[in-house]
Amino acid sequence: MSLPLHYVNVLTGLKGCRVIEDPQALGKVMKKAERPLLVFGPRCIDIDLGGKLAIEYGVEIAKTMGAATCATAHTKKKLLELGVTPDSTYDAVEIINHLKDPNWVGVKKQGNHDLVMFLGMRTDFGNQGLSTLKHYAPHLKTITLCPYVYPHATFSLANLKVEKWKEYLENLIQSLK
Amino acid sequence: MSKGKIKEQEILKTIRAEENWEPVGPTPMPEISDLRRWDRRLLKTYKPFYAPFCDLCCFCTFGKCDLTGDKKGACGINISGQQGRWALIFSLMGCSAHGAHGRHLVDYLIEKYGEDYKIDLGGQVAVEAPHIRTVIGLKPETLGDLRKAIEYVERGIINGVSATHMGQEGNDIDFESKSLHIGMLDHVAMEVADIAQTIGFKFPTSVADTPLVPLGWGAVDKSKPVVTCVGHNAAVATVMIDHLMKNGIYDQVEVTGICCTAHDNARYSDKTKIIGPLSKQLFFLRTGIADLVITDEQCVRCDIPELAKAAGSALIATSDKISYGLDDVTHKEVDEIIRLIVEEKKQVLIRDVDKAGEVAAKVLPLVAKGRTKEILTKEKAQELANKCTACGMCDRVCPNLLKISAATSGVRDGKFENMSDLFAKCIGCGKCEQECPKSIPIITLMQAAASWDTYNVRVGRGPIHDVEIRKVGAPIVLGTIPGIIAIVGCSNFPEEIEEVVEIAEEFAKRKYIVVLSGCAAMAAGYKKDAEGKTIYEKFKPEFDAGGVLNVGSCVANAHITGAAMKVANIFAKLPLRANYEVIADYILNRVGAVGLAWGAYSQKAFSIGTGCNRLGIPVVLGPHSAKYRRLYLSRKEEDDWTVMDGRKKELINTEEPSPEHLSTVVESKERAIITLAKLCIRKNDTPQGRQLKLNHYISLYKQYMGTLPDDLQNFVRNDKDIPIVYKKEVTEYLKSVGWKPKPLLTLPTLIGTYESNIPIEAVVK
Ligand code: SF4
Ligand code: SF4
Ligand code: SF4
Repeated sequence: MSLPLHYVNVLTGLKGCRVIEDPQALGKVMKKAERPLLVFGPRCIDIDLGGKLAIEYGVEIAKTMGAATCATAHTKKKLLELGVTPDSTYDAVEIINHLKDPNWVGVKKQGNHDLVMFLGMRTDFGNQGLSTLKHYAPHLKTITLCPYVYPHATFSLANLKVEKWKEYLENLIQSLK
Repeated sequence: MSKGKIKEQEILKTIRAEENWEPVGPTPMPEISDLRRWDRRLLKTYKPFYAPFCDLCCFCTFGKCDLTGDKKGACGINISGQQGRWALIFSLMGCSAHGAHGRHLVDYLIEKYGEDYKIDLGGQVAVEAPHIRTVIGLKPETLGDLRKAIEYVERGIINGVSATHMGQEGNDIDFESKSLHIGMLDHVAMEVADIAQTIGFKFPTSVADTPLVPLGWGAVDKSKPVVTCVGHNAAVATVMIDHLMKNGIYDQVEVTGICCTAHDNARYSDKTKIIGPLSKQLFFLRTGIADLVITDEQCVRCDIPELAKAAGSALIATSDKISYGLDDVTHKEVDEIIRLIVEEKKQVLIRDVDKAGEVAAKVLPLVAKGRTKEILTKEKAQELANKCTACGMCDRVCPNLLKISAATSGVRDGKFENMSDLFAKCIGCGKCEQECPKSIPIITLMQAAASWDTYNVRVGRGPIHDVEIRKVGAPIVLGTIPGIIAIVGCSNFPEEIEEVVEIAEEFAKRKYIVVLSGCAAMAAGYKKDAEGKTIYEKFKPEFDAGGVLNVGSCVANAHITGAAMKVANIFAKLPLRANYEVIADYILNRVGAVGLAWGAYSQKAFSIGTGCNRLGIPVVLGPHSAKYRRLYLSRKEEDDWTVMDGRKKELINTEEPSPEHLSTVVESKERAIITLAKLCIRKNDTPQGRQLKLNHYISLYKQYMGTLPDDLQNFVRNDKDIPIVYKKEVTEYLKSVGWKPKPLLTLPTLIGTYESNIPIEAVVK
């Protein structure tokens, strides 16, 4: 869909995500972040990507890039089982509420984050939260790591089949190293 | 009152100020901005959190205007103002639905019985209308008084709607204040509607142990003529049942209902059956089990004429709110209408309650004649699914993000497990079917995978009894009953319908008071234990620790909030009359009541929730409710939690974020349970009460999160608050996070923390 010349004729909005098909390119964006945060949603607990859970990919990404972590919903339990103590536990709307404030101290009390990655939220719920950040948090960039287009994110993956997603995440991790 | 003399006189006359049941408080019949200072105080702590669903505004011909980020519309409104406007619009829609419902019942009953017809809710309910008393300042005695209350609501709605017009209100906080006001009026409207129907249709009241009625499509004897009432207004059904009895055929037919009409039918006659909540509307109507469908108002599908026709069911629409483009036959003779329905197979609109009821009763056996009702077999289902290519188009449109293709392709291959799972999570919208390029009737396939078992629901009981409040008032306020969990609202559930039962049971077992209503009350009946018992059979029906009660349909929600008000009145002896601010402040600080609307979808649910919030009752919502686009969240320990100690008249920074939020969304059942337990914490808890509340919070947190809560330090005021069973580990944990004891206070109140006409003495009794 192209944008009309006169914005008054626009269909549903003017600012949407950029889909990044190349994991290397996404890796580059992520590496630039100074205080990244990875937010875990409950759906990544149950998604098995051929013997490895989606949440484990998230953990690996966070570790590789030294990102702070936030466990939403009931993901904390699974993270603890995986031997990971999240840096913070909030509901998704709570962490987003904090992120809106540019002067917030951040989950590690080192200043608000400049890049926030999301993994494992319901798409409808997640997209709503990303809308909040799009409108109210111009100071940060958002990335979704799920295999769906999230229109309100700054950067999103494309709609991917499971195998392609797994491949994408693996390449992304490589590029972060 | 900032009103002119004439208006003041008018108000005093309306509320019969000379009657001295209680002194007239500061805000009789408040107008839209009269409680604005209270709202602003609430919103200072619980700021609106917006998640815009739409970046644009298309309200007027200046637009569309892009409001992304800091952009403004051509009229000057910004994105927050626009979200606030939506919040007000939703509240208005919800309040209007209940208000018009109440108005219809009151007008109908006044025609029947006259305006002097007395309000009598039985020996157990002396404080008959806490909302009308508190908001309006009137002690309603007759149907005529209920009409006054509804007129007051109607006036408020006009003012509210006008503020949404382009070029009127533009400030988000003021939109929210208006939205809170309309939410408050919604509870008045619901109270009017439920009291009117209770007295007019002689529903049982002052009885806790109401009968159990059968629940589920499997409960219906389809060999009999079946009528299904869909919606929220039982007026026509009550008349129909009277005629069926008079005609001597009541026991030869099945009177069933979907959504709240079913609850109210059951209150009228426990021989009726409840099919289920809104999410099962399409599924059930598609079966064709109903020989006659009667629609009234609210939560009725817009395509029922089409559905009824396809299923071979006759249709009578009865509300001027839902006319479906049908011929209005209200003016015709009963026999002629029957002829039109039976011989010409016409679907009709009858706007006269008595006539619609009479026609329905007479036409039912006639339209049922010769109909066969076959439920889809597994073999036939497999045949219907055989063209499924597993293309996944259906998956893309499902608003509940379900994996439909796995279910349909499973059926194609003779496997039904995925379809059974799908049915348990399906919210019944029908969008998948419409998208299927192979025209596979997905909703019909569900017939072959659904359970056809019979469940049950306890008949709605209406108001909580004064004597029950007297008994539980002290334990609730002191905290030794850990909380009231009100599970309400619609059936837009994120996962299996059974989650509602699991949540309810978790709290009932822990001796909270669990109150249900509407679709949630039906959902709670859909699970049996190993002995075949539903939650309604396992727990006592009293408003007491460990009780599980169904108050009734959506309008009966007023009795849940009303119970919190009655605690302030009957137990704490605070006057209700025109005393909203004091009562709301009391509830916020001292009554550990929380609402859960796990499947909220409607604007009514939004306005009910908003009304709860103004009254100081927090609400937890399921993930779909993020699409309401507005919450009220605090910033937890980072906010200022200063309150007034009413006895010492000193401002005290309690450092305690309780209740933490006024309106929040959580994504999973596990998190919902934890959040509900936490939101029951109130500043007024005694050490014993706080220990009990923390005991549950800790044990639930451990169960679902695997550790001690990492915000525990926020809710332990001193050593005495620490639950004995967890003493050692909690003490160690508190030490590790550098916890320090917090100031104690005896009478927490927000009065005195903001500019208000209310003297602090008003909260000290
Ligand atoms: S109401 Fe305001 S923001 Fe909306 S379309 Fe009109 S000018 Fe634009
Ligand atoms: S859209 Fe139709 S054909 Fe495609 S997967 Fe769904 S049911 Fe099968
Ligand atoms: S009818 Fe059920 S399965 Fe189909 S799209 Fe709607 S919610 Fe999804």
